[in-house]
Amino acid sequence: MPLAWLAVFFVLPIAIVAGYSFDVYSLFPGPHGFTLSAWRAVAGDHVYLRLFWKSVKMSVIVSAVIVVLAYPLAYYLALSGTKRKYILLLLLIAPFLTSYLLRVLAWKVILGDQGVVNTFLFWTGLRSPDHPLSQLLYSKFAVMLVLGYIWLPFVALPIFVSLESLDRRLLEAASDLGASRLRSFWSITLPLSLPGVLAAFFFVFVPTLGEFVTPSLVGGATGYMYGNQIVDLFGTGFPDWETGSVLALFLIAVVAVLTVVFSRFLQPQQIAAD
Amino acid sequence: MIEGEEQGFERRLDRQSLLKLAAVAGSAGVVGGRTGIANAMRAISSAETGRLQVLDWAGYGNDGGQAMFAQYVKQHAANKPQFTYMTNESDALAKIHAGLKPDLFRPYVGWVKYFATSGLVQPWDTSLIANFTHLNPFMVKAGQYDGQQYGIPDDWGFDAILYRTDKVTPKAKSWDLLFDDRYKGKIAWFDDLNMLTVAGLYLGFKDPWNQSDAELQKSQQLLMAKKKNVRLIWSSETNLWEAFGSGDVWIAYAWPNDWVQMKKKGLKVVYMRPKEKPVAWVGMFMLLRGTPRPHLAHNYVNAWSSTKSAKWLEDNYGYGHANTVARPASSDLLHALQLTNPKAVTEPSAHLDRDIPRRALYARYWEKVKAS
Repeated sequence: MPLAWLAVFFVLPIAIVAGYSFDVYSLFPGPHGFTLSAWRAVAGDHVYLRLFWKSVKMSVIVSAVIVVLAYPLAYYLALSGTKRKYILLLLLIAPFLTSYLLRVLAWKVILGDQGVVNTFLFWTGLRSPDHPLSQLLYSKFAVMLVLGYIWLPFVALPIFVSLESLDRRLLEAASDLGASRLRSFWSITLPLSLPGVLAAFFFVFVPTLGEFVTPSLVGGATGYMYGNQIVDLFGTGFPDWETGSVLALFLIAVVAVLTVVFSRFLQPQQIAAD
Repeated sequence: MIEGEEQGFERRLDRQSLLKLAAVAGSAGVVGGRTGIANAMRAISSAETGRLQVLDWAGYGNDGGQAMFAQYVKQHAANKPQFTYMTNESDALAKIHAGLKPDLFRPYVGWVKYFATSGLVQPWDTSLIANFTHLNPFMVKAGQYDGQQYGIPDDWGFDAILYRTDKVTPKAKSWDLLFDDRYKGKIAWFDDLNMLTVAGLYLGFKDPWNQSDAELQKSQQLLMAKKKNVRLIWSSETNLWEAFGSGDVWIAYAWPNDWVQMKKKGLKVVYMRPKEKPVAWVGMFMLLRGTPRPHLAHNYVNAWSSTKSAKWLEDNYGYGHANTVARPASSDLLHALQLTNPKAVTEPSAHLDRDIPRRALYARYWEKVKAS
């Protein structure tokens, strides 16, 4: 049953996309047949690869920064022994009750040239109103900031779970044996929570790599990502489903390879934890 | 193929209309002239069932554009229009190929030839559109291909440059302002391959709509080089209004409505006509081939073509309308759009947008500008 599900909703759609990329299927009626031309065109063009690399860098930065930011948060929730931890957890997730678009758009109010941040800078005299910090909005920075904000709870949760399931007796034993709190963190807490950290990183990296909504809202001309190019090839200017499919398949392939590598990497850690 | 289709449409008209005409004539007694035909038309179209399927742009459906087809809804309450929205012609083309079956849709003038030769549309029977006689003859001509009326012109406007007079001093009235290094980070472009046409106009190429490979590369290089000055490449007007209205950009590739909206916000703005001339566009209603509701579609377009709808469009959206009888309340708009000049959209005052024979190639060049 799960295999059938996977076949119908995962393998089949990808096969159809692959069909378009080889021109076996075509949006336009008329003669068409198997060809590698779209693949060759993409492989021979640095523009796409450079754009992909730019998106990879942006996603890695976003994922790494928010993992670092979310770790102390999850640590506090899981290990501080506060009775209110589930209420706090709920608060963390509360923004999810509002629409995604609304939250992204709210950032425009904050980051714009006449936005909250710049107005504050003018007020303090740190910037003159003629020279606002314009890199805040419609830039790569804006895209990364908003993505980080959106995905933070997703990162905090897996880390929280891995810390919660930590065997507390190990920490007690460490302190009985005279280890400092820092020492027991480095030797016990961090290694045992590493699978959660990696999972969290991956949770964010994969969806942000193909992201297109956020960059189209706050990215402007410079925050344009690989996902935007795929969307545009399918429906702006003139439909180019062949090239769009090639780019989409390339993205899926990269993510698939990374998934395999990551899951290999995660397994020995878990065995060690057992 | 296209002729055969038209015959099919006319056959259907004949078969259904004769009986209906007889019935109408019988019940209404002797009716003559225009009213008679109109009544008969209404009777014929009432034989067509289901809601009229319209593929149109945001703002032109039940999301604010109701006034422009109110007359149709009144006449055909049982066949109210049902809208699907298109973000651009390419999107419409993909939707239709993917199986969407609208009765009519609205590409712009540059796509008339493409669709007319695509086999997806059929010509209109202009004798069924009473308001057709009021439509601007230059625009009507632009809607023709091979002697047949494939597009019924309605809304029109320009691609030109909007800028803030309190922040920007152009060196010249030119498209150059969209590339001006002095305003780095304050410029907005439009997300469309038309940017290559504009670059071609600016570079002085002979036919910017049909550039040679070398010319196209030069246009692309110009855009790639100047993209560093661009803050936003807008794809929807609300996108642009947010950025322009909040002062994030001062210069934009824009449509007349954007100028109207920014003026409403109290900004000091000018809608510049560059010396290389603005590009004019005209919305063209097109009738899908094999539609089961051809008469309803004609009636819908007739409602859109009325003087009342035209005035409403001009007053509320700041676009021109092909109906030459209509006049907007604002004299500014009248002046900016040269509404009293029937040749406002064509030489010598503007370049009417036209078919791009190598559109797919243009699209690829433009996508790379964005990806670069």
